[in-house]
Parts: sequence; C-alpha cells; structure tokens
Amino acid sequence: MSDLRKQYQARAGILAALHGRTRSVPAVDGVSFALAEHETLGLVGESGCGKTTIGRIILGVTRASSGRVVFDGHDITALPTRALRPLRKHMQMIFQDLDAALNPKMRVRDILREAIRLHHRLDDAEVARRTSELLDQVNLKAGKLASFPHELSGGEKRRVGIARVLAVGARFIVADEPTSALDVSIQAQIVNLLHDLQTRLGLSYLFISHDLEVVELVSHRVAVMYLGRIVEIGPAERVARAARHPYTSILWSSLVEKRSQEVARAHANGGAAWGVFDFERPGQGCRFAPRCPVYEAAGRPAVCTDPASEPTLSDAGAGHLVACHFPLAR
Amino acid sequence: MTRPAVLEIRDLRTYFYSRAKEAFIRSVDGVSLAVAAGETLGVVGESGSGKSVTALSILSLVGGSPGVITGTIEFAGATGAGTARRNLLEDLGRYVRVSERDGRIVAVTKDEPGWRARVERALTGVRGKEIAMIFQNPKSSLNPFLTVGQQISEAIRLHTPVTDAGEAKQRAIDWLERVRMDSPRLRFDQYPDGLSGGMCQRAMIAMALASEPSLLIADEPTTGLDATIQSRVVALLAELKSEFGVTTLLISHDVRVVSRLADTVAVMYGGTVMEHGPARDVLAPGSEPKHPYTAALLASLPSAQTNGGRRTVDGRLPVIRGEVVDTMDVPRGCRFYARCDRVTEAIRARCLGQEPALATVAAGHRIRCHLYAGETCAETRPG
Amino acid sequence: MRRYREAAGEVAERPERSRWRAAALGDRAAVGYGLLVVGLVVISYVVGAAGWLPDDPSRMDMARLNAPPGAGHALGTDFLGRDILSRLIVGIQAYFLPGLLAVAISLALGAALGVTAGYRGGRAEALVTYLSNLVDAVPRLVLVLLVIAAFRADIYYVMLVVGITGAPAVASIIAGKIQFLRQKSFIEAAHVLGLPTRVIVLKHILWYNCAPLLIIQATLGMGEAILVETSLSYLGFGVQEPTPSWGNMVQAGANYFFHGKFWPSTAPALAILFTILGFHLLGDGLNNILESKSAS
Ligand SMILES: Nc1ncnc2c1ncn2[C@@H]1O[C@H](COP(=O)(O)OP(=O)(O)O)[C@@H](O)[C@H]1O
Ligand SMILES: Nc1ncnc2c1ncn2[C@@H]1O[C@H](COP(=O)(O)OP(=O)(O)O)[C@@H](O)[C@H]1O
Ligand code: SF4
Ligand code: SF4
Ligand SMILES: [Mg+2]
Ligand SMILES: [Mg+2]
Repeated sequence: MSDLRKQYQARAGILAALHGRTRSVPAVDGVSFALAEHETLGLVGESGCGKTTIGRIILGVTRASSGRVVFDGHDITALPTRALRPLRKHMQMIFQDLDAALNPKMRVRDILREAIRLHHRLDDAEVARRTSELLDQVNLKAGKLASFPHELSGGEKRRVGIARVLAVGARFIVADEPTSALDVSIQAQIVNLLHDLQTRLGLSYLFISHDLEVVELVSHRVAVMYLGRIVEIGPAERVARAARHPYTSILWSSLVEKRSQEVARAHANGGAAWGVFDFERPGQGCRFAPRCPVYEAAGRPAVCTDPASEPTLSDAGAGHLVACHFPLAR
Repeated sequence: MTRPAVLEIRDLRTYFYSRAKEAFIRSVDGVSLAVAAGETLGVVGESGSGKSVTALSILSLVGGSPGVITGTIEFAGATGAGTARRNLLEDLGRYVRVSERDGRIVAVTKDEPGWRARVERALTGVRGKEIAMIFQNPKSSLNPFLTVGQQISEAIRLHTPVTDAGEAKQRAIDWLERVRMDSPRLRFDQYPDGLSGGMCQRAMIAMALASEPSLLIADEPTTGLDATIQSRVVALLAELKSEFGVTTLLISHDVRVVSRLADTVAVMYGGTVMEHGPARDVLAPGSEPKHPYTAALLASLPSAQTNGGRRTVDGRLPVIRGEVVDTMDVPRGCRFYARCDRVTEAIRARCLGQEPALATVAAGHRIRCHLYAGETCAETRPG
Repeated sequence: MRRYREAAGEVAERPERSRWRAAALGDRAAVGYGLLVVGLVVISYVVGAAGWLPDDPSRMDMARLNAPPGAGHALGTDFLGRDILSRLIVGIQAYFLPGLLAVAISLALGAALGVTAGYRGGRAEALVTYLSNLVDAVPRLVLVLLVIAAFRADIYYVMLVVGITGAPAVASIIAGKIQFLRQKSFIEAAHVLGLPTRVIVLKHILWYNCAPLLIIQATLGMGEAILVETSLSYLGFGVQEPTPSWGNMVQAGANYFFHGKFWPSTAPALAILFTILGFHLLGDGLNNILESKSAS
C-alpha cells in the first residue's frame, strides 16, 4: 500500500472518423512510466499528442488496446468496470473543460454532498462538517455553496472540481490541464493550492499541461510526449534546462528564446518544410524526423527514418531517459 | 506623441444589462486609448477586463444591449477617403440618454434600431477595409463553405482597387506566401476544414492584410494555439510588423505575447485602463513607476519564477489574491482595491472612496493609482 | 427606445431575480394562462367526481330544451334540457384519468427508450429514429380507429395507444438532450467519481437535466390526449350518451347549430379550444423559460 506505482505500456487504438473514412489512430503508442507517492509527474506535449488519453486510460475510463496499468498492486487494465469502482476512492481526475466538468443544474452543495456520501455513509451533520472542511482546504467561501456552476468564476469552478476530488478521498490525481483555461493570477492560485494539498495530504499528481513553464514549476519529474510516444522523461530541472531530445528543446525554446538559440533558428529555417508523421504508414523510424532540425543539420541520416529502428527511451544518466539517435549534448 | 494617432478612443463606455440582477455589466467603463501610426499598441489584462468588448466597440460590432453608450472614437485612415479624421461614434448622443446618480450611470435609454441603422451607414467601408480584424479561434471565423483562396480574393476585390479575378488570385497567393504559408498555391484551393489551427490563423492574417487596412485589430491571435505554433505565429506577426508596418491594436491576455510585439502597452482591469505607456517601461519587471496591478500580474507569470531558478516544488508562486473585480458590481473607489497590497494608510481612504484618474508619470506613461497621483499635475483625462 | 434601469441598493446583496421574474412577458402570460386552465381542469375534475354540481347532469328539463344561458342554467341546456355547465364539468371525467395514463405511458416509455438510445447510441438510437418516423407516418386518429376496430371502443385502450405512440417523440427529445450532455465532461466526471451508471442516468441526466423537458412533454401530451378523446367522442367512438364528454356534447349540439341554437355545441367547443390551448401555451412558455439558452 505504501508504494504507489503505475506501470504503463499501452497501444491504444482509438477509432477516429476522419474525412468520412474510419481509420485507426494510435493515440498512445508504447508508453511506460512509473509514479511514486507524493510525486508530481508533469506530462507535456502539443495538443492531440495523447496526454488526455493517457490520463483516461490510467483511470480506466478508456480501455488500453494493450499494455498494463498497475495501481496499488491492482492491474487497472484487467479489471472489469464494476471492480474499478472501489479504486476510484483513491484515484481521481480533474477535468480539463472548466465549464462542462460540473453538472450545470446542481448546486455546489449538492455536488460536494454527492461526492462525500459516495464512499462513506455519513449523516447530515457529518456531511456538513466535511463540506466546510473541504471548502476550507480549497479556499472557497461558504457563500458559494448555494451557487450553480454558471454563477462561479473560472477559479471557483476549478476549486469546486478539486474539492470534489478530495471529497472521495483520492490520493492520486490526474490533473488534466488544470490551469490552462485560467488567467495567470488565478493559475498561480491553483498551482499553489495543488502544491499545498500535496504537502498536507500527501497527494500524487499526474500533471498534464501544454504549458511548459507551469509544468516545470510544479513537477518533480517531467515526461515529454510527441505523437503518442514519450520522447524524454527525467527530473524537471534537467528536462527543462538540459533537454537532450530535439523536440523538447524546441518546445522550451519556443517560449524562452534565450535557451537553445541555435535550435530555435534551425527550426525557423526548416519551418516551411515541416511535415507530420503519417499514422497510416507506420514504421517510418523516428516520428519526429519530419520536423527535426538535428536530422536536417546532420544531413538526414538514414537511421532516423529506418523503419526498423524507431528510437526507444534509453538512459542518459541520473534518471533521465531520451528517445533519440542523436541526443543533444549537455 | 510624435506620430499622429490613427485611432484615439476617449471615455468609451460599453454596458450590458443583466435582467436577472437588474444591473449594468460595466464591461468597458471609461476607456481612453490612442494608437499612433505605424505602432503596435498591446492591450493586456485578465479575461473579462473588457479587451474584446473594446475592440468590438470600435467597429460597433458589440452583440448585446445597450452596448456602446458614451465616448468618442476618432479614426484617421492612412489611405483613400478615410484620411480625414472623424468620430466613428458621431451622433451617439442623439440615440442614447444616460442618467447619473452620484456620478454613476444608473439608467440608459437607447434607440437601438436607430443607432444600428446609423452604424450601418457610417461604418460601411470602414469594417474590413479601413479596419480589419483577426479573431481568436480562426477556424470559426473563416467561412467553411468557401476555399481559403476564394475568401482572400473576395476581400481583395471588395476592399482594394483590384477587380480583375485573375489579378486578385495572384495577389491572394502572394499574401499566402507573405504569411509563410507552405505551398500557397495548394492552400489557395483548400477549405478551412483541411487546415490546422496555425494555418487557419495564417490565412486569417493574410485575409486581413490583403485588404490593406489602416488599422489591424488582432484579438487574441495566438490564444488556443499550441505552444510551438503560438511562438511561430508571434514570430510571423513580428516579421510582418517590420515588413509592412501596419498600425496594430493587439489584444492578448498573454503578457509574453504582448511584450514581444507591442511598442506601447495598455493594461486593462475591470473595464478600464490602469496603465498606458511604452512597452519597455510598463512590462519590464521591477521598473518604477508601475501600477500595483501590472506589477502583480508580471510577478504571477510562471516565467518570472523559472528565470529566477525558483520552483514551486519548494516554494509558492506569488499570486494576486482574490478574484477579478465583478463588472456588475464595480466599487466606488479603485477597482483593484480588494486585491491590492500596496495600499498605504495615507491613501487608504482615497483608494476606497474615489476612483483614481490616469495621471501622467513620465512622457507618454500614465498610471491610474493614488500612489502616483501626486507625481505630476499634468493632464487628467476624463474617466 | 429601450430603457435600462439599475435597481437601487448594493448589487452583491440583491437577490438574483428568479427565472420566472426575469422571463419575457409573453412567456409569463402563456404560462400563467396555462396554469389557470390546468387549475380549473383539476378543480372541475374534483368537483365533478365529488358530485358538487350546479345541477344533475342527466336530469332532463323538458320544459327548457336548448335553452339559452340564463337563470338556473348558467350555460343553458342541451337538446334534452340537461344543464350544460354540469355536463361540461362531468365531461372532464372522460379524459382526465385516461389522459394522465397516456402521459404517464409516453413519459415512462419515452424516457426509457430515450436514455437507451442517447446513452448507448448505435442500434438503439437507430431504432428510436425508426419508430418515431413510423409513428409520424401514420395519423394518430387512424391508428386509434384501427385499434378500436380490432378490439373495442374502450377509452383506456385508446389512451394506451396514444401513450405508446407518443413515446418515440419523447424518446427522441430525451436522446438528443443526452447526446448533447454526453459531450460535456460532467457525465464522464461522474463515472470517474465512481457513481454507478444507474445513478448517473436517473439523477444527473434525467432528474437534473431532463425534468423540465419531461414536464413540457407532459403538458403537450395532455393536450394531445384531450384532442384525441374529444375527436373520438365527436365521431361517436368514444364516450357514449348519456355520459357526457366534450366531444359528444359538440356533436349532439351541432344538429341544432344552424337553427340558431348555437350554445349547446359552442360551449363545449370553446372549452376544448381553451383547454388544449392552455396546455400547449403552458408547455411552450415553460419551454422558453426553462430551456432557453440563458437558463444554462
Ligand atoms: N474518442 C476519440 N475518438 C477518436 N479519436 C480520438 C478520441 N479521443 C482522442 N482521439 C484522438 O487521439 C489523439 C490524442 O488525443 P488526446 O489524448 O486528447 O490529446 P491531448 O490531450 O494530448 O491533447 C488525438 O489525435 C485525438 O484526435
Ligand atoms: N454580449 C454580452 N452580454 C453580456 N455581457 C457581455 C457580453 N459580451 C461581453 N460581456 C461581458 O463583458 C465583460 C468583458 O468581456 P470581454 O471584453 O470579452 O473580456 P476580455 O478582456 O476577456 O476580452 C465580461 O464580464 C463579459 O461577461
Ligand atoms: S532520432 Fe533523429 S529524427 Fe528523431 S529526434 Fe533524434 S535526431 Fe531527430
Ligand atoms: S489606487 Fe490604491 S488600491 Fe488602487 S492600485 Fe493604487 S494603491 Fe492600490
Ligand atoms: Mg487534452
Ligand atoms: Mg477576449
């Protein structure tokens, strides 16, 4: 019970109807990582790269096509939906969509009461006590209990979402873009709140975001995803400041120009030629090759596009793994 | 200001009305701004501060009532018939009557059909031609049933002297090239549906620029795009700025975007301008003088933390406490009072009871805060 | 000229006006009228059932046949000298309980079908679409007459048919609403929270988000049921003389209409008109007030 771990290796085929044809899109394609107790693992990548899908698979909402997710010794992927329900007490999700994640016709009080009562049989007095405790934990005014979600500001909606997750007693939380729809000032409040809760309640987070700066701030470790694969994973400081994968480097340099100037320039030059990895023709080697400045600079080495040698995560020291044939120098 | 202003907004008020609360939503409440020829004015502020409503008010595109109720919007186009300076809100007083109590608007009577008809007459030839606009969410602002090329050519034939279809097409392709769209000839015949978000935004920019406007309004042009795409759109806008020098009103909640593109910055909060001045003064962290709201906004940026090498895992981010002011319930004094941590006992009574005026603290730099009220005695603007 | 006025006092302390008070005047009038009609119908039903009538509805006053409204008979008498007001009140018995039954069947069956279709999609959804097209293709009265021909002219059989044929319409409305709701992550959030599907469907979907729709459908369904019952009785397939029904009253009075005695048929005809109008306006007004965009 002490060592909270998730091992994850999935090939999730999600059917997508694109341009009137149905084809199979591997949204998540061979991903593995583990998460320890009290830890925050940041998951970054462009939208559509499969971050949300990973969160949903971990919680058993979406079924992985293959692979395993182990939580507290239970294999989530093998359990039937019914058997997952007791585990929900421990693992929860904060949903990305601020406006749609709360039932629009339920008052805050009812939303919280439902979550509190879900796993614990409590009488009204105990529910009221627990409710005020939760409000306290997420810094929400008691006056908001009678409000409907549409009467709340973005930050307040987010707080209610967090309170609900705490109400069931979750210890592991998948936070899907918890700050992306919020203003910077409110974003900082929510980041602090999540941090305080982690310290106070010993929570673990999978913090999904496309905002690299926020991820760097909140995470102990960071995983970078590109088109359904993790291309780099390691301690936050190292991934952010000493990225080894060209994609990670570009991702960060796109915000902070000071970093990796030359990579940014290469990426601007090669910009027009950027293509995308074609899911329908698998086995083209590294899926980042069509956009990779290192690949361009090295004269398009064959190994990068060799179908037989898609780069896999390999150790770059100090818990830092990178999936690239030509990792950037430190 | 050395260069003449292309756009000068004075004391603009755009209100909405909540039937449920029987109260005004004071979305834009006394905004004054000026954009000089060739410069980019960046408007920053948290969501709900009235940035978009200000932009829509300029073109009288506000979708709600009573809408624009007071103010003047002086516009002087750079080309053609629009060169003469004129007030886009001329005669507004004929259609709107406001009643005040204790210096606060408590009732509005507006002849909406009359005003709408006036706007249609006065703004044809301005919308899309003299003033072009780029919106957030480019996908929904492009017509899904026309190809990208058709839409750009149409804008060219409608708004420029070019009427020949073949020439319009050539120009449209030129514009697609100028916005660094890859394979412009191919894209010309594509429908918006087949383009990614970043490409749609490029197409929107091409369309806006193709009509050769005197003023470009870009409302959150990068919001909602991916981080990497965002930075490329920002880079594009920067290049276009130096290439064509289009006068631009750039609106974004993202301080980073504004600081990279703007020459002048207006910081909005709760429907009014809190600070207005040269970008390097307003947005440089730690520089003085600075409005407490601007300072707090800059401090809460994650990059302010990462640059210093501090991380939340061991500490906490500085925040602006509380929530954005409710524009339905604007306080009598300073709008930022409830969240401000620089109130001194000497000015507390004034912060609470009296709205500070925009006071000039340096050349072209104005701040709306009692802390700086005594700096100079020059220029107190209405609002 | 439109005038906007801010109410006095602090905005924060001002209670939000209820949806009813903030609604448009026309909708409030429609709902007000509808509620009045429903109230009158319910009271009249109780009065009629208890027998507190102005006159015995089957007592024939041979001295006053087809008498105009006046003393003793507030709405006059019919061709057998029976008190029209009393017969109108008793006539409600003919459709009240059967109508409720039809509505209950439509809603229960419709909600069940709608939830299945909306939630599962695929084949269940195709079935509902098919059924509602099928029902739409056959005029309801024809179907009812067929059932009467095949079985017997029992109003409860008829209302069973009305109820069942009303279900697909309810189902497709509910299914549409659920499909709309399912795009919202709160349904998924409820699953992740660990709520059983049954609770999500009954509480989160039906109770919180479809209750107004069901109420609106109920009022419209009741209007429909009244129409079917009165039409049948008018045609002679429904309630039989001497038991009064608004339909057979119109029919009986119609023989004298062109002889200048218009009230025996006009009174029940107006009752039908205003009652059905009332149920429809109620449904429509509620729809505008409860399901408008600004409400959510
Ligand atoms: N229900 C679904 N049906 C079809 N395609 C899906 C579905 N969910 C996700 N996808 C596809 O899977 C990919 C990954 O999506 P997602 O995990 O939401 O990405 P992210 O959260 O990183 O933005 C995307 O290309 C998306 O289009
Ligand atoms: N049509 C409308 N009706 C009512 N309120 C509106 C309308 N449009 C905008 N508002 C309100 O005006 C305020 C300012 O909005 P906006 O200008 O869009 O802010 P932003 O600075 O984020 O662009 C918000 O509180 C918003 O709710
Ligand atoms: S493997 Fe080759 S193409 Fe892929 S990221 Fe590394 S250098 Fe670039
Ligand atoms: S006027 Fe007062 S409350 Fe407002 S920003 Fe200045 S110091 Fe703060
Ligand atoms: Mg996502
Ligand atoms: Mg906006």
